Amino acid sequence: MSDQLLAWLSLYGVPVLFGILVVTAAGVPFPDTLMLLAVGSFVAQGEMSLWQVLIVGSLGAIVGDQIGYCLGLGAGRRLVRRITNRVGGTETMKRAEAFGERWGGAGIFFSRWLVGPLGPWINVSSGITAYPWPRFLLWDALGEVLWIVLYVMLGRIFNDRVEALADLLGNLTWVLVGVTAATVLGWKVFRHFRTGQAVSIDPGDGLAQPN
Amino acid sequence: MRSTIIRTARTFRWLPWLGLAVFLLLAGFTAFKAVDAARSVIYWHAHRDEPIRGWMNVGYVAHSYRVPPHVLYLALGLPHQPPDRRPLRVIAKMQHRSMNEIRAILQNAIVHARPPYPPPPPPSEGRAP
Repeated sequence: MSDQLLAWLSLYGVPVLFGILVVTAAGVPFPDTLMLLAVGSFVAQGEMSLWQVLIVGSLGAIVGDQIGYCLGLGAGRRLVRRITNRVGGTETMKRAEAFGERWGGAGIFFSRWLVGPLGPWINVSSGITAYPWPRFLLWDALGEVLWIVLYVMLGRIFNDRVEALADLLGNLTWVLVGVTAATVLGWKVFRHFRTGQAVSIDPGDGLAQPN
Repeated sequence: MRSTIIRTARTFRWLPWLGLAVFLLLAGFTAFKAVDAARSVIYWHAHRDEPIRGWMNVGYVAHSYRVPPHVLYLALGLPHQPPDRRPLRVIAKMQHRSMNEIRAILQNAIVHARPPYPPPPPPSEGRAP
């Protein structure tokens, strides 16, 4: 699959880059890291224009993110409302919205370029918690432009071995995601077993809540 | 007996234990990926040449293996000017060859374009081997 996509990229250039980034940002698992590094290598060899790649790539990723946000805001929010009406949890939803309002910007920004695998989930959850769209767009655009510039330039610098670099970056990203999630969860579990407090998975209430 | 089990099940605080289980799973996954990352770093240091893939074009392979592009174009029976931007899998299809054949042809040409073999002259000065 990735071989075919990269072959199309090599053959048709930036329109394919735009299309793949839209669907990847919307949540379809395509090998975007390898693609951006390969694009950087094509730029280094004079087969693609750097500015065209940066502009079209950023636009593609931003458009894809808006699709995820709109899905969350429309269908996702309706689904959550239906569930909370039946089984309760309206208060939890309100706390989640408040939490999103407070920390959403950082989450959106860092999930664009540092912990990329979380990006599509953050898009949908931002829509579900009705995170203000202008702020979502601002953080999203900043993060996506940084991601595109960073990866294309890395591909441009290490242009003779993009597959090895993609493997390395992919693994490092997952290590970062795993360390972040394990640290947060590990801290909650540790506190529970040490102090006897209940572990809370509620996003709006800090690390743990007294029983 | 049955009511004791039901009561225990109802009063058992499963959430912390579920949290611990998920934490252990996450820690295992992270360790696995860290080993993969370390392996990638070792591979990065040990190999400069990338495996030849169908998405690469002749220019990329020549650049990655640091050989003159015309050597590879000649080996595939393609004109070297203007540079052919098509991916290798498209070239393979046009030439009714498998990717393995294309890979073997290119690797053979690369070996003969690197020391201890003398580099072939560019086409304007003579025929490449």
